[in-house]
Amino acid sequence: MKTFTPPPIRPGIQPRSSMGYRIDHGVRSSVPFLFVFFATLVLSAPLNLPGQVELMPAIIMVTIFLWSVFAPVLMPSLAVFVLGIWADILSFGPAGVMLLMMLIVHGVALSGRYTLARVNFFILWLVFGVVMVGVTALQWVLCCALALHIVEFLPFVFETVLAFGSFPVLYTGFVWTYRFVVNNADGA
Amino acid sequence: MPVSIQFRQALGKLVLPALILVACGVILLGKADRGLIEKLRMHTADLLAPAYGLVAWPQEKLRWVSGNLQDIRNLEAENIRLRTENAALRHWYDVAAALADENATLKANLHWIPDNAPTFVSGRVVRDTSGLYARAVLLALNPDTAVRKGGIALDGAGLVGRVTEVGRRSARVLLITDSSSRLPVTLESSHAAAIMAGDNSALPRIIFYPQDNVPIEGERVVTNGEIESLPAGLPVGHVHYLRPGQPVVVPAAALDHVDMLRVFDYEDSVVPPDAPGRVPLPTGSGAMPLPAHPDQGLHG
Repeated sequence: MKTFTPPPIRPGIQPRSSMGYRIDHGVRSSVPFLFVFFATLVLSAPLNLPGQVELMPAIIMVTIFLWSVFAPVLMPSLAVFVLGIWADILSFGPAGVMLLMMLIVHGVALSGRYTLARVNFFILWLVFGVVMVGVTALQWVLCCALALHIVEFLPFVFETVLAFGSFPVLYTGFVWTYRFVVNNADGA
Repeated sequence: MPVSIQFRQALGKLVLPALILVACGVILLGKADRGLIEKLRMHTADLLAPAYGLVAWPQEKLRWVSGNLQDIRNLEAENIRLRTENAALRHWYDVAAALADENATLKANLHWIPDNAPTFVSGRVVRDTSGLYARAVLLALNPDTAVRKGGIALDGAGLVGRVTEVGRRSARVLLITDSSSRLPVTLESSHAAAIMAGDNSALPRIIFYPQDNVPIEGERVVTNGEIESLPAGLPVGHVHYLRPGQPVVVPAAALDHVDMLRVFDYEDSVVPPDAPGRVPLPTGSGAMPLPAHPDQGLHG
């Protein structure tokens, strides 16, 4: 049976699907994944930055949230899972907690993306703040339960505040990346 | 395989819940089989240890250069201070030499048994693996060095921690400030035994000290020879009261900035002798030989 190919939505000159084009396209669309991967790796190195331990979850959560809202094709659930395992291996916390947090942030962003992608930036920021508070509270409860005693609460508050504060910076970076690196003229 | 669009959509919706379930499974697995996760992490840390070393190297050089510049700036004041200190130290040197002589004479008279010199290796700390809930550092090792689990890590000033995991190229040292660290210590002036318990803050608490012999502010804290592999008399720090009734230890070692560590092996320092009166178990034959005459028994 002859397969039917629909006519292109945007008729015009289509780029040839050469090797170079495919490599270029692949690298561009794996930018979000690679960013989180290397951010995790770099922030686990002994840089002696102040607040380095809390910065890693903050950057991971903001990045996953933004890409899951605006371009879930480039941040699929399976990629989040792989990144979660990677972050868990490098972070020496209780195993799996980081992974669960990342999946929950991804899930919330994914389920609300038709609303979230259209709202004002400040409302998006606020929504992220609420999500982060919830997720960090869950992390604290899980850490207490797994360690069988109450662990100190302040580092978790710091982690939330840091994530909330770094949102605008990462949002700017995200918009730039989305416009000029990932979403080039041929349109993915 | 041709599948309908509806089926594929339903399948796509199931991926995330399935992954969340797997994540819960990972949490349970990490709790049930801690060794597996630790092995995986140590393996990764082993692979990354050279890279971490590369990151640590320029930082150390930079600190060295900036330290040098500062030294040059206050050279004058430093010289004056060192001269006065040197005069004081010369006096103490004489005292120490006299005391060492006296000590040697006394030990010779008392047939003193000298302590074994412990073996040690030194290594560079490549990574601070402290998280929100743990205080530990990772030590780079040569693959041939014999560092064992339970080794004692010291820096120039005092006790830092104990080796908890050993990989091929790295070892993890649990600091004395970690919340799972409990060490028996002796308070040097009041001669009281106590337990030093870490709580993830910079100052480990002193617990289980005798109520009629409370720790004195500022007195030295040294290790206690109660447990194997940790000899008595290693310097730990000094006592400080955060508030009345809450003594803590201010560690002598610079725990917030550990650069170099020496790992000592005290494993076979003190072996307890066999308990007297115990009948040694026979080797080889199954049944224990009974004494021929009851009155020539264990004490005969």
